[in-house]
Amino acid sequence: MNSFKDMVEISGLWILVLLIVGLPLYGLIRRVPVYETFVDGAKDGFNVAVRIIPYLVAILFAIAMFRASGAMTELINLLRTPLGAIGFPPEVLPMAIVRPLSGSGSAAVLVDIQAQHGTNSLITQIAATIFGSTETTFYVIAVYFGAVGVRKTRHAVAAGLIADIAAIVLAVYVVKWMLG
Amino acid sequence: MMNYIWAGLIVIALGFALYADGRDFATNPYCNGRELPATIKLPPPAGGTAAPAARVTVQLTPESVAAFRGSELAKAELDALEMTGELTRLDGGYELKIVSDPLIRPLSQIRAFHDESNKSLRAKVIGLPDRIETQPGAPAVAVTLRFEPVRFVKLRAITNAAFEFAKTAVTIALGFIGVFALWMGLMKIAETSGLVDIFVYLVQPFLRLLFPEVPKGHPALGMIAMNLAANMLGLGNAATPMGIKAMEELQKLNPRPDTASNPMVMLLAMNTAGVQLLPSATLVAVMGMSSLRVFLPILIVTGISLVIAIVVTRLLGRLPGYKRSDPNAAEVTA
Repeated sequence: MNSFKDMVEISGLWILVLLIVGLPLYGLIRRVPVYETFVDGAKDGFNVAVRIIPYLVAILFAIAMFRASGAMTELINLLRTPLGAIGFPPEVLPMAIVRPLSGSGSAAVLVDIQAQHGTNSLITQIAATIFGSTETTFYVIAVYFGAVGVRKTRHAVAAGLIADIAAIVLAVYVVKWMLG
Repeated sequence: MMNYIWAGLIVIALGFALYADGRDFATNPYCNGRELPATIKLPPPAGGTAAPAARVTVQLTPESVAAFRGSELAKAELDALEMTGELTRLDGGYELKIVSDPLIRPLSQIRAFHDESNKSLRAKVIGLPDRIETQPGAPAVAVTLRFEPVRFVKLRAITNAAFEFAKTAVTIALGFIGVFALWMGLMKIAETSGLVDIFVYLVQPFLRLLFPEVPKGHPALGMIAMNLAANMLGLGNAATPMGIKAMEELQKLNPRPDTASNPMVMLLAMNTAGVQLLPSATLVAVMGMSSLRVFLPILIVTGISLVIAIVVTRLLGRLPGYKRSDPNAAEVTA
């Protein structure tokens, strides 16, 4: 079973090697001045990283305040009964709420759920599926739109959140159906 | 919508913090203003001269603690009744610095609140005779301890969180510089060498269905394809700079640079839905070999949610409000 972990790591490694070595090599064959071109492109890296700072600060501090206020715990307590009634296990609720907000936070929630319920429990599998099949919506918005200076996000937030909710609900039923 | 969510997070945080602090004010869980009876055992006088800070042991009784905090002690807490600390003479009396660990509730919370490193708890000692060093015959003295009050725990917590994560955001962004530079350099080579054009040619029959606003043969399509491919393969640190490159290409087609165009929203929605074939490195790190069991469920869920993201993005884009804010539509009517 451990070979699966190795396989994922090794295939990822080879793809990276292929890209990092293959791209300059291909450029060389096509007679591109690879060094000059690389440097020219790379200087954009700094600008982009600096450009996303205000967007990241805005979203991360607001989410951090929300989490520190304990609102999340109250929200989870509030939703526990109605969600339990429709067959949604309340134990995975922290994951469902934290996942769109914070990447490191949701990883911590996953570790927590795993420690409480055991790796092979249905609860952990559902939480892992939610973790694996969604992204940190607000962070992605901050980074991708921040990099090009887009402030008016239009329907991006709504679309991202609806996809998240769909993934969360699906995760519960798919895992129950396949592993339950 | 972002405006409301962002302001909502902050306002809700303040609301809940005030609620929690108000509840604390009413129930006084940190026992502000109360006094805790204790017995201080002094060390035997060493060589006649008292050290400026003397190590002492502090003994609490279950009854006095129960009266102090208004609840009985759990069995596991009985061990923490004997504490060690340092006694220092100050101008107005004695100060005790409790250094032992663990502490009973609520002393542990009071310590965490006043000491950032969570190592020592300070208390004012009341009832200690003025010149204890001259009383070698009475090593155990009954006193009362008074702690500094704990107020506005949550208000302090949210302000601290705001400052801390403002710093974290900058650390994260600056940490990106190297990875971004590496990938953007490589992407530039891919662009100049014509590799992106080949990619565009290969993927455009499919991607043009999702991004009809992008003209045929535009490099944005190649960048989008690379971003999606890197995501699928779980190459998180390559996917982000490729996605940003795609956004930059899309921005070139956008007549209003501060507003997201339809293809930008589509690309973002596809990224937030999380297109993954291989489980992410984090999941493998946390779950180990068990991540194999959720491999198939993740594949199914992420696949369906990707389709939902695409459909929802399209449908929302047709709503009159979003249609009006479309940068391209605005240019036509203007």
